[in-house]
Amino acid sequence: MLMVRDLSVCIEGKVIVDGVSLEAKEGELHVIMGPNGSGKSTLLSALMGLSRVRICGGSIVFNGVDITDKPSYERAKLGIALAHQNPPSIKGVKFSEVVKNLIRKCGCSDSTVMSKILRVDELLSRDLFVGFSGGERKRAELYLVLLQNPKLALLDEPDSGVDVESLDLIASAVRYLIKKSTTVILVTHSGSILNKLSRIDQVHVMIGGKIVYRDLPDKVIPAILKYGFKKGVEVLRDGG
Amino acid sequence: MFGVRGSLKELLKTPAPYGPDIDLSNYDMDLPEIQEGREVVDEISDVSSRLGFNDTSKLSYIQVNEVAVYKALEESLSKYGVRVLPLRKALEELPNVKELAWKLVRPDLDKYTVASYLYGGELGYFIYVPPNTEVPAPIYSCLAITRDRKIQFAHNIVYVDSNSVAHVVTGCAVPHGVKGGLHIGISEFYVGRGSRLTFSMIHAWSEGLHVRPRTAVSVDDGGEYVSYYVIYSPVASLQTYPSVRLGRSSKAYLASVIAGSGESVYDVGSKAVLGGLNASAEVVSRVVAYDSSRIYARSEIVAEDAGRGHVECLGLLLSSNAEIHSIPTLTSKKPEALLSHEAAIGMIAQDEIEYLMSKGFTEGEAKSIIVRGFMNVEVRGLPLTVMMEIDRLLDMISRHATG
Repeated sequence: MLMVRDLSVCIEGKVIVDGVSLEAKEGELHVIMGPNGSGKSTLLSALMGLSRVRICGGSIVFNGVDITDKPSYERAKLGIALAHQNPPSIKGVKFSEVVKNLIRKCGCSDSTVMSKILRVDELLSRDLFVGFSGGERKRAELYLVLLQNPKLALLDEPDSGVDVESLDLIASAVRYLIKKSTTVILVTHSGSILNKLSRIDQVHVMIGGKIVYRDLPDKVIPAILKYGFKKGVEVLRDGG
Repeated sequence: MFGVRGSLKELLKTPAPYGPDIDLSNYDMDLPEIQEGREVVDEISDVSSRLGFNDTSKLSYIQVNEVAVYKALEESLSKYGVRVLPLRKALEELPNVKELAWKLVRPDLDKYTVASYLYGGELGYFIYVPPNTEVPAPIYSCLAITRDRKIQFAHNIVYVDSNSVAHVVTGCAVPHGVKGGLHIGISEFYVGRGSRLTFSMIHAWSEGLHVRPRTAVSVDDGGEYVSYYVIYSPVASLQTYPSVRLGRSSKAYLASVIAGSGESVYDVGSKAVLGGLNASAEVVSRVVAYDSSRIYARSEIVAEDAGRGHVECLGLLLSSNAEIHSIPTLTSKKPEALLSHEAAIGMIAQDEIEYLMSKGFTEGEAKSIIVRGFMNVEVRGLPLTVMMEIDRLLDMISRHATG
């Protein structure tokens, strides 16, 4: 499904992601944890092919196709979707208009189910993300990802800045993706969504642009939540 | 009343205050003519579809060059007591119409009004809506120029008597292939006490056309005037500065959407005068400039009495060769009046394009979605059918303009 090899990513000449490798199979849920500024969002931006980041080394292969140099819309056509951490507010553009265009483009047949899961109906008549609360923003953005019917969903901090109710809805949507055999790479620094997910295949800890530790969630998450990122990794390495 | 015709003729040589000057002697004038029939409808089928009027049978008034044709909806409108007829005929047949003509727009306003007054033959439409009448269907009219180097004159008067509601939709266009001409339109609208008039105008001209509409509106106490103007075609030049005078507790909402292209010059303004206590006005424009177009977006609110006014003028510059000049003006003569304005000109934000591209849209599709959204102006009170037609046009404009 996804094979990332020794990937380095630069922004304005500065290396933000440094030699990351990662492999995810169909239907797997991978979680990337790390402190603020560790390069998690930059990694997802590079996987999506956003032009604000530049890949300065390594490769990305998706379903056997080298997509390292492909622009974002071509990656989206191949089945990759990104839920942005901070999607831009676009005045005048109705949320419903983007939804309509995406349904037309992606042929999504269960948009009603998805809108019920994320309770976005009341947002449809509003301008895209304009004046949305934190929870509304995350739900609306995740809804657009669901509409893309992705094979690989990249979720950037879907649990940050949301209330408990929205968190439950977002977790339901992630479970829905997994149920549909979508591969999910979920970035979180708070980890607040993790205990609401039924199954996590692997947790990667990212610090200073590198993945410094990876293992099964039962081992990694308790150590990180107890000791924090740096000390947690030290404890894990020491076999604690 | 207006001085001798000779002194008016002198004004024909004086450039108007705004817009590129047009030498009227470069154009021919046909003799104005009125027909009762539909012989010219086929001639304008291309034109009417450019304006979103796919069903020409809906049109109450059609003017092709200097030939006015009417009938159509006259019958269905007559059950409401609504009259739609060429102004010249109305001036001849209906009492009091003379009292309405050339009262809001003065003949000596500029060279174009002078030309229309002297040579226009009072073609154009007259629409009368009686008191306490709500006309459910929009009243459509279509004006077209089909031959080169002609001047088309149109003088329109709409009178909505007290406590009535009417929707007028006017489209002006040329068929593909017409390269040059001049359209001079005089419009005088009277909105009676407690009445509401919505006026939607769509312009689809061509590169060689000069366009000089002159519009003035009087809104009586408690009345409301809503105007929605869209131009999406190139022109040689367009200059217009409609003015609305508002009585006590009356309202105006004036929206313009200008999609400029080619080497066109657009000088489009809207002016509202708060002439009575508690009058309110909102002037909104959305300007999109492509190619080498130059757009002057003027907006003005004058508070002569205590009321509220707001100007919102937003521009999107989509070419480094294009120019947008935004000129909002607020004048208050009453301390209790509250006037405000917001003006901004910019380009499409790169992060918005990139965001939409990450959803699978190409760069062109992303721009089209953003431009379409930018042109969205929420005009309250327009009939759904009109809104849908305008929406279709704006969809087409945004798709076409961004390739």
